[in-house]
Amino acid sequence: MNYFLFIIKSAFEDFRRSKMQTFLTSLGILIGVFAVVMLTAMGLGLKKYISDQFDALGKNTLFVAPGKLLESGGFGASSLLGNRFDLKDLNRLKRIRSIKAITPLASKSGEAKGTKKTEFVTIFFSSEAFFDISGFEIDKGRFLDKSDIDKRSKVLIAGPKIAEKLFGSINEALDKKVSIDNVTFTIIGVIKSKGGGGFGGPDYDSYFFGPYTTGFIFDPDKKFIRFAIKTDENVSISTVKEEVKKEMLRRYEDDEFSIVEPTEILSVVNGIFGIMNIVLVAIASISLLVGGIGIMNIMYVTVSDKTKEVGIRRAIGARKNDILFQFIIESIALSVIGGLLGLAFAALGVFAVQKFFPAYIDVMSVALALGVSSVIGIVFGVLPARKAANLEPVEAMRYE
Amino acid sequence: MIKLVNVSKSYKIDEETYFHALKGATVEIKEKEFVSIIGPSGSGKSTLMHLIGLLDKSTSGEILIQNKKVSSLSDDQISSLRNEFIGFVFQQFNLVPKLTVIENILLPTVYSRKKILYNPEEKAHNLIKTFGLSGKENSFPNKISGGQQQRVAILRALIMEPKLILADEPTGNLDSKSGSEIMNLLKQLNEKEKITIAVITHEKDIAAYGKRIIHVKDGKIV
Repeated sequence: MNYFLFIIKSAFEDFRRSKMQTFLTSLGILIGVFAVVMLTAMGLGLKKYISDQFDALGKNTLFVAPGKLLESGGFGASSLLGNRFDLKDLNRLKRIRSIKAITPLASKSGEAKGTKKTEFVTIFFSSEAFFDISGFEIDKGRFLDKSDIDKRSKVLIAGPKIAEKLFGSINEALDKKVSIDNVTFTIIGVIKSKGGGGFGGPDYDSYFFGPYTTGFIFDPDKKFIRFAIKTDENVSISTVKEEVKKEMLRRYEDDEFSIVEPTEILSVVNGIFGIMNIVLVAIASISLLVGGIGIMNIMYVTVSDKTKEVGIRRAIGARKNDILFQFIIESIALSVIGGLLGLAFAALGVFAVQKFFPAYIDVMSVALALGVSSVIGIVFGVLPARKAANLEPVEAMRYE
Repeated sequence: MIKLVNVSKSYKIDEETYFHALKGATVEIKEKEFVSIIGPSGSGKSTLMHLIGLLDKSTSGEILIQNKKVSSLSDDQISSLRNEFIGFVFQQFNLVPKLTVIENILLPTVYSRKKILYNPEEKAHNLIKTFGLSGKENSFPNKISGGQQQRVAILRALIMEPKLILADEPTGNLDSKSGSEIMNLLKQLNEKEKITIAVITHEKDIAAYGKRIIHVKDGKIV
């Protein structure tokens, strides 16, 4: 009979004989692995969710904002600093070759009356380029075009959420009029949902978008709160950043503007959540330790239960290492059973929370759960197994 | 084949007191012999058997197996000798309760490091047939009689084709009928298979099966 098979088989036969004890011993590891895998899954889900949020900002994009923004600043923070940039800046930046598209951004908030409801809304005033930069797709109607900018048309594109809120449905919203501060706009298009709206990312679905030239109605100074830039894919984003910086420094002091890369913010936010997750997983790992001690305890009991058997095995030729191996295998099996059950429960748990939380289990956490439980089996099995291996055959056989 | 030269064994009872189980015993067991070692309980015959069977280490003196000093062998080498060279039969049968008859018989082959030149399963089945245990292959030891259990133990001793079978009070837990069956079996193994047999007993009629009788008394060979 194959040596390994034989030893593994005898371990499992013991478990079959004492199912309850096996289960209770594995329970510690079960809970530990469950907690670790579950938390890792939630951490991963959160990370993916955040990164999806930032993807909503578009790839190869840069933002130029007034003042020194904190690295983690989102859209809202800069409006506190007031409108700073003007058309002159826009024209200067437009000359930079590595900039594929640029739009100024200004915003206006106010009450808007729809057919269904009146809501407090925000309009982003931009050029037609904004739709390309942000990767919007049109659902109904059309985007802004250049003539809207030139003619200062009083038109708006609506996010799907706000369109629904004000008019009941996206279809209803199209071609409707909406007034903000006594200026009446016509809704000419509704964009497809972009998601977003959490962790510093903009909730585009709840905004209106209009021509920046029309926005000047609300701002006689003709200022912008931000420029959004789409960079040339063939030029590294840091090069573009340098070029933009150089251009901006001609007019402003270094601390009067910031150039923000969404991925920078992403890495800061991810960093924070990453640390939080590590701390949580570390706390959960304590239960693995406790589980390991439980296994060690039971293994000592097993060794003493099997003293006579060890004596017999030694008498008929088992080496110390054979005995050591037998008990370590048993300890690993106990731990891995716990690990597998923990993993199964975590899978169920993840499935259950997925409805309201973006958790998911990846291959790494499965491998880690099994790896960690095996290691626990070895680490906490070694001492009892050594005790068994070092039993004297004669004395062990006499043991009853 | 096995020689004990002036071998002593003492057990420490407490800091000052030692129990001298064996005092300078010199014994030789020759190949193909059937030896009985007889002595009253507490005479040191079990200690002698443990030393011959390499289950224990002597306090002083030298044990030689095939003219090799056992004291120079590692624990692994000694384990291999127990596995391949010696077959044990105990008073308590000492079968592993959770293993079936066939698994118990095959157990020594699991630990064998040398290449076994026959198919162990096939050999085990042949032995079971020859020794009248057919149909009991998958029974657990507690489901068969004492005589059957002892036969399983003998088959376990035989599976590795040992040179020596050491039987420690093999009939001690058996009725006289099963006891004489087992003794006849051992006798046959000695005569037909030319396996060296050493039987440790306190019963004169069991010892009488041996062609040579070694008397042990108070830790000495007399």
